[in-house]
Amino acid sequence: MNQETKTYRKGEIPGIIAINARECKGCDACKRFCPTGAITGMFGTTHRVDVDRCISCGQCLINCPFGAPYETVDPVDEVAAKLADKHVTVVGIIAPAVRVAIGEPFGMPAGSLVTGKMYSAMKKAGFVILDNNFAADLTIMEEGTEFIQRARHALFGEKAEHGGGIGPLPQFTSCCPAWVRFVETNYPALIPNLSSAKSPQQMAGAVAKTYGAAQVFNVAPESVYTVGIMPCTAKKFEASRPEFQSAWHFTKEKGGSAPSAPYPDIDAVLTTRDLARLLKKMKINLAAENDAEGGTLFAEYTGAGTIFGNTGGVMEAALRTAWVVLTGTPLSKIEFTAVRGLKGVKSAAVTLRDRKYGKEVTVKVAVVHDIRANIRPIVEEVMAGRSPYHFIEVMNCPGGCINGGGQPVCDTGSSWIGRVLPSFAWS
Amino acid sequence: MTESSFILKHPLRVRVFHYLLAASFLTLAVTGIMLYFKLLAEPAMNTAMQVHVVAGVVLTMDALAFFFLAFDRVVLFTKRTFTFSGNDIKWFAVLGGYPQKILLHKKVDVPPMGKYNAGQKLFGICVLVGGTLLILSGWVLWALPHAVPHGAASMIGSIHLYASWVLILFLFVHLFLGIYMWDDFKAMFVDGRIPYEDAAEKAPLWVKNDLRRLG
Amino acid sequence: MSKNDPSHEFIENPFSLSRREFIAIGGVIIALLALPAIWIRSALINRNHHIQARTKGLYQDDATAKIRLSHENQAVMKLYKDFAGKPLSPVSEELLHTKYVNRMKALS
Repeated sequence: MNQETKTYRKGEIPGIIAINARECKGCDACKRFCPTGAITGMFGTTHRVDVDRCISCGQCLINCPFGAPYETVDPVDEVAAKLADKHVTVVGIIAPAVRVAIGEPFGMPAGSLVTGKMYSAMKKAGFVILDNNFAADLTIMEEGTEFIQRARHALFGEKAEHGGGIGPLPQFTSCCPAWVRFVETNYPALIPNLSSAKSPQQMAGAVAKTYGAAQVFNVAPESVYTVGIMPCTAKKFEASRPEFQSAWHFTKEKGGSAPSAPYPDIDAVLTTRDLARLLKKMKINLAAENDAEGGTLFAEYTGAGTIFGNTGGVMEAALRTAWVVLTGTPLSKIEFTAVRGLKGVKSAAVTLRDRKYGKEVTVKVAVVHDIRANIRPIVEEVMAGRSPYHFIEVMNCPGGCINGGGQPVCDTGSSWIGRVLPSFAWS
Repeated sequence: MTESSFILKHPLRVRVFHYLLAASFLTLAVTGIMLYFKLLAEPAMNTAMQVHVVAGVVLTMDALAFFFLAFDRVVLFTKRTFTFSGNDIKWFAVLGGYPQKILLHKKVDVPPMGKYNAGQKLFGICVLVGGTLLILSGWVLWALPHAVPHGAASMIGSIHLYASWVLILFLFVHLFLGIYMWDDFKAMFVDGRIPYEDAAEKAPLWVKNDLRRLG
Repeated sequence: MSKNDPSHEFIENPFSLSRREFIAIGGVIIALLALPAIWIRSALINRNHHIQARTKGLYQDDATAKIRLSHENQAVMKLYKDFAGKPLSPVSEELLHTKYVNRMKALS
């Protein structure tokens, strides 16, 4: 694409989603799913994507009745070539939501949990497993610690350990690349509220090419090829952000061998659909595989990491760890059911005793998904300084990553949550 | 029977229904073809879609009104179009004698028909089934494409497309024969009457079984 | 039409259908019309089934996990011990944290 774009930096992929003009009937269904009004074209005419507004979430793609939207980036052949190259360690970074959807293209019912089959199929294809649930656990450590720091700073005036600023409350989660771009393009004033923690995919890439290369895979960082396997089209955009070359910078600073041209932390991103195509191309039938173990240090994950794919999952995982860290006591009940379910905005208040300061605090959290329908009042409240919350989880897609724009298209499903009201398109 | 006697074939409510049906369906067919082949530039395409939607609403209202106000005629029509006999097969074997008559100016023997000949019955079934499918699918595609599951929505789109092709193709035949049989055309669009002897020739069973003399 | 209307002598016999036949055919028509309505309704009601099924799949993965708290992940702890130190350490800040950009100026 050679068109002039305004909201992309050099190196970033401008717009992952485009609309096939031949297939589009102009029915306006996509517009009703688009969180940013990025789809233009009058009712009855061929629609187009305004890439400057598009956050690449892919909801239009999985909900168009005519299958008109498509992904502009298809790395399947490139990944297949890397898998065939014996000198390259291809690391498959598997997001939580992939394991409950990758069975569908192989004829299994929706929601089948196929972690073991998926490991087996991917190892057969030549991937080394890095379960992104591992990186999700790592994200909780970083993002949870950051939240505790922000909360203690706001409540007790605690200073940062290494100096430097501490971000304001409420803290927004930053795992969802569509949400991050939504803030950057629509509410830049809220950038300080975003957790500075990278998304699990980007943490995984940076770790795989530094610690992983040196101590787990025992290869040179530049021969590690990281492939995000994501339920998400926006992850393809995220991986192209120029700041995500941190492993190269880090290796260079530490005096390690590094090629003169920087390499990205994540080399390629496959959506769940892409992975299914890749496996089918390699004649691997995932459904027929036996369960296998991940087999690397990076395949170790916890229940808190795996629920990242559900709306409310990041918050629940963070609350579990924050509770134990703040109170020093174990949880009597691990599940925080208040943040589960498909309600547009879920909130919860957790009262606990911060053992460091010896004081009771009530942590108020909110969980937002399907941002098209639900985010405006929440961000307006924060902008006006009236938000009652300390920590807000945001995922763009209805239901969270399990219904992401990169997931297999479900013929009997729609992302429309809540009441069904007719919407009479006109102009 | 005197030569000047007439039969009231199409009562007023049928004629009003047919006026609205003809106007809205022709509009829908023309705008639908424009939309399908994307024949126009952007603002005009939008106008075509708006006209398509308005005509669709008119057609729906017309169909609903007839369904509720003239349910007896709907039932009668349904019964007649779905009632077949061996004569219908024989009718199709000679295509009602029309090609021979129109192209070769030759008269062939045609089996006796009721109010609707076999071709009209087939057309009637397509109108009943196809029309209903078009109306229902059209409303879903206009108002609910977001909420209906992906696969169902795409299937409904295909139904709308195929039903419209069938009806548009039939429409050409219907228009041609309608105008060709000028007495019937006048009956439907003007006063509802057809000459007795004309009906006795084309629909002898109807004239024999289903008529009542007035007065 | 009045019986004395001079314009035509014949009309269709409105009673060519028996009451039984009328009710039977009318009933079939209405039943057939109800079918698509019922089908669309059930398709609409079940439209989020895949979301619920996948959600359940992940909660099941959590419920059956041996370890359910991120800070008890031994691999993560090993990463901190061998490499990153602790959360928000300088290594963490460099590799695991990031900055964001204001993209709105370009739009307005």
